[in-house]
Amino acid sequence: MSPRGWAASATAAAALAAALTLAVTHWIERRYERAFAFRIARTTAAYVAAVTPPPPPPPPVRRRGRIPRPQAPITPVPQSPASRTYHLPSLLTQARGLRTLPGWTTEVEVYYGTAPLVDATAPPLSPDDLLQLDSAGGRWREGSALVPLKDRDGREIVGAVAARPLRVPTGPLPGGLGFAFPAAVLAVVGAAVIAFRGRSLRSGGYVGAALLLAAASYLDLRAVARSSTDRWLTDTRRLLQEAATRLPPPRSRVSVSDLAALVQDAELVAGEPAESAPWRARVDGAPRAIVAVLIGSGRWVDLRTVPAEITTLRWLLLLLASALVGPLGILLLRWAERTPARKRRETAIAWGFLAPAGLHLLVFTLGPAALAIYLALPLANFRTIVHDPLTWLSMRSTGLYALYVPVSVVIALGAALLVHRYRVGWGGRLLRSALLLPYVTSVVAIALVWQLIDQAGTLGLGRSGWLSSPATALPALMLLALYAQLGGQTLVFLAGLERIPRVYVDAARVDGASAWRRFWRITLPLLRPLTWFVVLTGLLSAFQVFTIAFVLTQGGPRVLVQRAYQLAWGGGGGSGGSQAFGMASAFAILLCLALVVFSWPRLKLLGRYAQHA
Amino acid sequence: MASVTLRRLSKVFDGGVQALHHLDLDVRDGELLVLLGPSGSGKTTVLRCIAGLEEPTTGEVVIGERVVTHDSPAERDVAMVFQSQALYPYLTVRENIAFPLEMRGLAHAQATRRVLETATRLGLQSVLDRLPSQLSEGERQRAALGRAIVRGPQVFLLDEPLARLDAPLRIELRAEVLALHRAIAATMIYVTHDQAEAMTMGQRIAVLHEGRLRQVGTPEEVYQRPADVHVARFFGTPGMNVLQGRGRAGDKGRVIEAGSLVIPVELSTYEGELQLGIRPEYVGLCAVDQGVGNVDVLVVEPLGSETLVHLNAGGQPLVARLPGFADVRVGTRVGVKVDRRRLYLFDAAGAPVA
Ligand SMILES: Nc1ncnc2c1ncn2[C@@H]1O[C@H](COP(=O)(O)OP(=O)(O)OP(=O)(O)O)[C@@H](O)[C@H]1O
Ligand SMILES: [Mg+2]
Repeated sequence: MSPRGWAASATAAAALAAALTLAVTHWIERRYERAFAFRIARTTAAYVAAVTPPPPPPPPVRRRGRIPRPQAPITPVPQSPASRTYHLPSLLTQARGLRTLPGWTTEVEVYYGTAPLVDATAPPLSPDDLLQLDSAGGRWREGSALVPLKDRDGREIVGAVAARPLRVPTGPLPGGLGFAFPAAVLAVVGAAVIAFRGRSLRSGGYVGAALLLAAASYLDLRAVARSSTDRWLTDTRRLLQEAATRLPPPRSRVSVSDLAALVQDAELVAGEPAESAPWRARVDGAPRAIVAVLIGSGRWVDLRTVPAEITTLRWLLLLLASALVGPLGILLLRWAERTPARKRRETAIAWGFLAPAGLHLLVFTLGPAALAIYLALPLANFRTIVHDPLTWLSMRSTGLYALYVPVSVVIALGAALLVHRYRVGWGGRLLRSALLLPYVTSVVAIALVWQLIDQAGTLGLGRSGWLSSPATALPALMLLALYAQLGGQTLVFLAGLERIPRVYVDAARVDGASAWRRFWRITLPLLRPLTWFVVLTGLLSAFQVFTIAFVLTQGGPRVLVQRAYQLAWGGGGGSGGSQAFGMASAFAILLCLALVVFSWPRLKLLGRYAQHA
Repeated sequence: MASVTLRRLSKVFDGGVQALHHLDLDVRDGELLVLLGPSGSGKTTVLRCIAGLEEPTTGEVVIGERVVTHDSPAERDVAMVFQSQALYPYLTVRENIAFPLEMRGLAHAQATRRVLETATRLGLQSVLDRLPSQLSEGERQRAALGRAIVRGPQVFLLDEPLARLDAPLRIELRAEVLALHRAIAATMIYVTHDQAEAMTMGQRIAVLHEGRLRQVGTPEEVYQRPADVHVARFFGTPGMNVLQGRGRAGDKGRVIEAGSLVIPVELSTYEGELQLGIRPEYVGLCAVDQGVGNVDVLVVEPLGSETLVHLNAGGQPLVARLPGFADVRVGTRVGVKVDRRRLYLFDAAGAPVA
């Protein structure tokens, strides 16, 4: 590839990534807008249902009223007691009135049956639309959110409310322009300049531009999310004010609880006079978006809701991924350019072989990890976890539990030395089998047998009840873990011992070292990387202990992973429910971070040893 | 210093391999004895028996006045340089050299001084704080030597210490080992499979073949009067030609027929199967039918100062070593002359015939 060709491809890659990022941003922004549209549509439906009176009892003589017949097709309005349906003329008035609400940023349409009431010439819904609404509870149709309008008792669908959000400028730049677009242009131009100027691999520059783009997109996204909440608050505020004048019987004051019924997914509490613009505040430690509503002379209420922007953090991952496609592509291009064709093909083949394992990793490890991060946000979950005393309690039991690892490593080393010393002959073979037996047996099986011994008092030991007594459950667990892991660790050490060249030991013998010193000065140092490996994997698995504890001690010591499980699935201090997954994920992430921090230096050390070996 | 004596030493390994057969060897006090033999002949096994790393199946090992056959290596006061160096990989050169001193419980200050002396003698001062993996092959070999000499033991065992080095470095280090031996005047057993090295280094050479000691003698003795056909084959570059033949009475006295050659010998008694040895330098070429037989030229190797000519003598290989560039064509037929005074005769089993 010529340098110009390369620069052009690099620029194209940057442009592609920028376009991708903008598209992703747009898509997410639309999600927030749609969410807003559905929400305001529901609120409107509730408002309409609340303020429209039932039809007056029909006068016995006059059979034909001046009720405007809905346009064709015939509306499938279900037959229901008259008191549950609406007085159609009032419904018409209410619907038309919505259009004239000052400051509304939404265009609404109310359908009675399938017929539009506000804009009578608009095409009607199809009967299917209504039927689907019944099952789905709302759907997106031709740029508007369509939600069902139930009868006054909230039982059957008599129509629908459609809300189309009007696009309002949310960007902070002149003309409502967001940061994302200028940043995208900047990133592409920057990439082009770096590429064409021949400063070929300033990948720092590319990455910087990509990060800038991701950050700008994120800011835009956040602004849109924030504005969606603000819009709902201000629009709902108008509805509430309207409702306050229409709901109550004449000459009485509207009750706050009547109004609160209209906004069931938010909170309505008595408040103070304030500006009409929404604001943000913490209520009982939780973030809230609030707007003050005047519902009568001198009567103010606060309308509070969860601000949508606290959920934006989770999208940052996606934005970063799409923005980094650019630098990644450029690096790939660079690599392809610098690598001879044969090597390229070999690398491609290598990746081909790695693909199945990589896919497995992606689906079963990285995917769940990303999902956990997604679920764990917002950050409030982490705060809850850190402040939860049960977290620290489970941390303490796990830490204590992990103390069995050094013990088992020492025993395993000793056993390995013994087996190695007597490797020929039946004694060594017997010892080896005895050590390996627990290793090849399922941990669950071992745990169950132990439980049996513990509870049924087999082997003439009597009912010990160790596993259920809080004082002895942890030591009993440790003993079992030691038993279950000893074989594997011994095997690793044995393999290590067999790999030590005999000549080192011989040299030490000629140099006059006693057996004791040979062990400390020769064998142990040569086994050191392996020892670290065994200790580290032991500790890691100790911190992830779940199986044994779960099978053995339903009420015993709570270890970390068990706590995560409880958080997610409930039972013993866990809440269960949808929030629970967020908490459990946050817990799992914290645990994972702790393990990484804790094992990082050793892992690096191991890597160094591996290079030397 | 001490002498080393092996008496009827045999070693049978667990698998039933008999590596040594009744070895008798006497290494004098302060002597540098070279133990020479092809790969697998049991050289390393001999050293390991002397060091105490293997227990002999039968026989005795005597160091100085003491029978040490069943003593542990630590009790024998020998030092060994292993074929594979065996420097401890996680210790620096300094720590490696200090290791034997530390194991013998030498005071720290004294040990430090000894290590420094040794390193200076071997030119290792600048690499003392490196790990073995950070050394060149030559430096590693020196460090291994250092670890052996630092303690000043009674006996040094060196197992092919130079086999891994390239030719110039090998010659350099060979000289150093000789100098070292002179300087410390210790008893040394130096194992090699390279007969040229053995010739240049040894005061005496012991030749081992298939676990049997074939001959012990000065380089000249071993070269001039090989004790059997194996020793004869092993020495010289290239080794001695050995032709299978038989003696019989010819028209003008006794002759030996070997392949296409018929060589008159002054041998009164011998008849039947025997082996005829001729060193390549005593084989000459001449016109067809002018010598003791005719041969075909297979390969010509001009080496500058000399030319090696590989011949086919009626199915038996024969090498001639001619001075300078010889005018011989591959594929031609030529006559062979031999120096009759330089013939060696061995019986079918390989023992020399008087
Ligand atoms: N531990 C052992 N168990 C069984 N057989 C062995 C053992 N060590 C050596 N042998 C055998 O003994 C014979 C002599 O081995 P040795 O190592 O002494 O040969 P060497 O002369 O040192 O050879 P090289 O020049 O290749 O080092 C060989 O046939 C070898 O296979
Ligand atoms: Mg050897």
